[in-house]
Amino acid sequence: MGTFDWNKIESSELSDYGLFSGKIADRLKKVKEASEEKNVCPRVLCGLNNADRDHAYLDLLKDDPDSVMNGILACAEALGAEETELYLPENETELAEKLKGSLEEKGIALKTGIINVREAADDFIIHIAGAADLAAVLAGENPEGRFFKANGEMKRLDPSTPLKEVLDLTDAKAVWNGYTYLTLEEASDVTVGECPTGTALLIKKNQCIVEETKKALTEDRKISCGKCVFCREGLIQLEYEQSEITQGRGKAEFRDYAEEIGTAMHTQTLCSIGQKSGDAALSAFEKFSDEYDQHIKKNNCPAGVCTAFSHIYIDPMTCTGCGDCLDVCPADAILGKPRYIHMIEDLDCTRCGKCLEVCEDGAIVRASGKLPKLPQRLVKVGKFKRH
Amino acid sequence: MVSITIDGTTLNVPEGKNVLECALDNDIYIPHLCHHKDLTPLGSCRMCIVEVDGEENPVPSCTLKAKEGLVVHTNTEKVQDLRRLALELLLTGHPEDCSTCPEYGHCELQMLIQYIGPKTGRLKMRNKGFEVNTKNPLIEQDMNRCILCGRCVRACHKLRGVGAIDYQKREDLEVYTGTVKNTLLKDADCRFCQACVEVCPTGTLRDKLMLAHPEQRKEEVVVPCRTACPAHTDIPRYIRYIKEGKYDEAAAVIREKLSFPKTLGYICTHACELECKRNCLNEAMSIRNLKRYAAEHDTGSFWKGKGKQLPDTGKKVCVVGAGPAGLTAAYYLRKQGHDVTVKEALPTAGGMLSYGIPSYRLPRELVQGEIQVFTDQGVKIETNSPVEKPVELLKDYDAVLVAIGNHQGVRLPMKGSDLPGVLLNIDFLQKASMGQETGLGKKVIVLGGGNVAFDCARTAKRLGAEEIHVACLEARDKMTSDEEEITQAQEEGIQVHPAQTFEAITGEDHVTGVDFMNVESFSFDENRRAIIKKEEGSEHHIDADTVIFATGQRCTLSPDAGLETGRANSVAVKDLTEDKSTSVEGVFAAGDCIYGTKSVVMAIESGREAASQIDRYLGGDGDISEVLAPVETPSQWIGKEPGFADRKREEPDVDPAEKRQDNFNLFDHGLCDEAACREAGRCLQCDLRLGISKPRVWGDYAKEV
Repeated sequence: MGTFDWNKIESSELSDYGLFSGKIADRLKKVKEASEEKNVCPRVLCGLNNADRDHAYLDLLKDDPDSVMNGILACAEALGAEETELYLPENETELAEKLKGSLEEKGIALKTGIINVREAADDFIIHIAGAADLAAVLAGENPEGRFFKANGEMKRLDPSTPLKEVLDLTDAKAVWNGYTYLTLEEASDVTVGECPTGTALLIKKNQCIVEETKKALTEDRKISCGKCVFCREGLIQLEYEQSEITQGRGKAEFRDYAEEIGTAMHTQTLCSIGQKSGDAALSAFEKFSDEYDQHIKKNNCPAGVCTAFSHIYIDPMTCTGCGDCLDVCPADAILGKPRYIHMIEDLDCTRCGKCLEVCEDGAIVRASGKLPKLPQRLVKVGKFKRH
Repeated sequence: MVSITIDGTTLNVPEGKNVLECALDNDIYIPHLCHHKDLTPLGSCRMCIVEVDGEENPVPSCTLKAKEGLVVHTNTEKVQDLRRLALELLLTGHPEDCSTCPEYGHCELQMLIQYIGPKTGRLKMRNKGFEVNTKNPLIEQDMNRCILCGRCVRACHKLRGVGAIDYQKREDLEVYTGTVKNTLLKDADCRFCQACVEVCPTGTLRDKLMLAHPEQRKEEVVVPCRTACPAHTDIPRYIRYIKEGKYDEAAAVIREKLSFPKTLGYICTHACELECKRNCLNEAMSIRNLKRYAAEHDTGSFWKGKGKQLPDTGKKVCVVGAGPAGLTAAYYLRKQGHDVTVKEALPTAGGMLSYGIPSYRLPRELVQGEIQVFTDQGVKIETNSPVEKPVELLKDYDAVLVAIGNHQGVRLPMKGSDLPGVLLNIDFLQKASMGQETGLGKKVIVLGGGNVAFDCARTAKRLGAEEIHVACLEARDKMTSDEEEITQAQEEGIQVHPAQTFEAITGEDHVTGVDFMNVESFSFDENRRAIIKKEEGSEHHIDADTVIFATGQRCTLSPDAGLETGRANSVAVKDLTEDKSTSVEGVFAAGDCIYGTKSVVMAIESGREAASQIDRYLGGDGDISEVLAPVETPSQWIGKEPGFADRKREEPDVDPAEKRQDNFNLFDHGLCDEAACREAGRCLQCDLRLGISKPRVWGDYAKEV
């Protein structure tokens, strides 16, 4: 491995990955000086940004773990650190199992979960991808470009590469760049280097932004440590709002509360989870306000995902009273008798669509928004008056 | 030191000290919740945020370090809005009903709400739906009221070094604090020091004993051993010294309150052990044995030739009776500078210590050794000097203390109670102590169920009686004697008969036995009279040639002593604790003779109170307290000990019955060295939590922010 070569790192102007991408050499110097002044021994902590849920950069550990580990050890050497730790997200159990042996050999402690930023005030934190590039530079290589994962493959790309060259944006209505939504327009201007989790995800036209935002916030709650008020309670409120909107109980004030809470989260939380996780709700409300209006005011989910808005009903003018739908409904939500118009009980209906498939007369309709007049009690086939 | 400015006020503060503490210490209130003086700052609640000149966003002042020229604003609109929002968010998960919470009125959250005035009704409220956890002893957890300030976690990990609780997440992602996988606290190696309860700002973590006794003062409930001890000896403090191997310091702590440390270490009735909170975990602390260990290993370096001795006052006091009460009073009066003479009727000093408690429980030399301390201090003791008329002593003395104890055994008025062969407890024990002929036969029945009854029975055994019975009115679980007395007596072959009424002592010109009936039930009516229901047809007889009454003792005060008497011929005093003056001015009384037969430790405390009151009567300040042990603040760090809650009580080394039952040698050899150290380590150290800093709320501060 050799002795740490400050010149190599400084001249390479290598910067770290993720949200805190300062020049690695500068940050190393700062921590070294502070530790000497305070007479403490810093640790070297390596991991993804706490808020990163895409885990794209973990591919580096899957494909070439040694490079990351060598990078960590190099930092330790530079600082005279005795303890080194690699952090893997809690749900990456397979990867942890795979790396256990070699980490132990190299004397790097394996940790699961997020980095405790409060306890790392005197320590040096480096991104997994940063450590990999650091090792490459010290080994005499001159890595060009930055890591980026597209279409399931981790490659080195010029950071100024437009995203639209790497991702096929047809059928998409939005792009998720790790922490915020981008409209298609914005996405067509964004470069690969502007994606802090090393990847970007497409939101397809048949996905509901509200539902996706709700899922994102739930995932954030899972990884949040729960210490900071704004992160812990803020996420609960933001998640609740999205959930209510998907169920047709959205209120106009939700936007304002989300604005207040999300903005406070930027500055009043301690790690990237708190600082970034509110942006899902903030960017969704801001950039997809039409979709939210549809849900909140017009009782409609444009993507057809939120089942609260989609209804399945039996057209009383077409129904022949054969009873095939009643037989196949798994929720027992259909009422009717032979030769009487059948009716679906909306509250019990799970929108599974089996009745739709089985009706030979095409009398069953899936629709959202305002429904036509439907019978409220048993009416003989052909005898329903619409007006 | 650096100069910082808070809301326009310039302060000189140590560099690097956090700004919140700088403000609070200078009487400027900044709201705070997760911050606690004794804990490392967390910066999670966001109540203490301030705006800093040169910084864009508000930062928590608890983590902001003071540096030269720092300018801070604690109450800008931005700060207020964020604070209100943070509190509003905290309250979304907090129950809205304050009035049902046991913390009502002391809750730091409640006071913060008053001060900050958050908006309500906007955000979604939720009931966290936790079951109140009452499964653990001593500590109750109601996570519905938790506001995640994290103080309990920091107290457990950093302040105490134990780490039994931490942040946990429920399956539905609700965050709370508790043990991993919700195990019982003891299985997480909790040491039940209750630091977590002490620092909790809301009604989340509660002290079960305090909840059960809201009428008592906190210090009394929290350290019950100290409260239960009549002398309020600082028990946790000396146990801590024993654990550290500092026996001299431990003995000094004991001596600050008790004049007979070794004696009590052998025979104290340990009210402290009955109240010990360790009882709630598994077994009480073996406090008496620990005291004995410390007293026996004490070299006296902290008190021999040291301690209080005021200059001679020229006043003379006479104490009648050289028992524990009288001798204690004499000792402290001498220390206050008075000339003290103790007149004792019997041949040696000690009272019940020398003539009541048998020598196999309390060696005679030991008692004399403890009394030597008093004579070394200058107390004069005249033995074989009975006093018939204590009032007449006032001719030669400025004050008189009557401490004659209860040396008159009670003879129950029943058929046959005057027969030859019927002995009284006190006479019997006194004669046995002096090696005199007791009149004991071969078959003995002791009537009574207290410790004295067993003293008589076991003394009889050692004097050669062949068959011994102890019979009493009380049911087995209501007998007043110590459990170990009963067990040890039974091991020595003594038969115990609880729940018996004494019908008659049979015999014509000598005792031939006692007629008994079984008690079916025994209670007191509203006039405190006993109602005894006897079992029909349960008459039975036990043969005996000796009957010993151990059914109580009374004071021997004669009617022409000139003093008013109270119940059961006791010496009447104005108040049993506060004013021990009798009907004659200048004559005081203390000990058993004023309140009935109780314990040695109560007598010692009574003697102390008497000394204080007599000193004041004679013109002194009445303050007999002294500091002997080093004044130190104990460390709040106690460390983790796996299996702490299950550690069993160490038992002393006791000779088996065959070895001990035919002689008067001491048979209980106390704890061995390792056992004493281990036992001392079992203590929960309930007093440590009283040393944790108290919370500071907005009402405590002068400056209106």
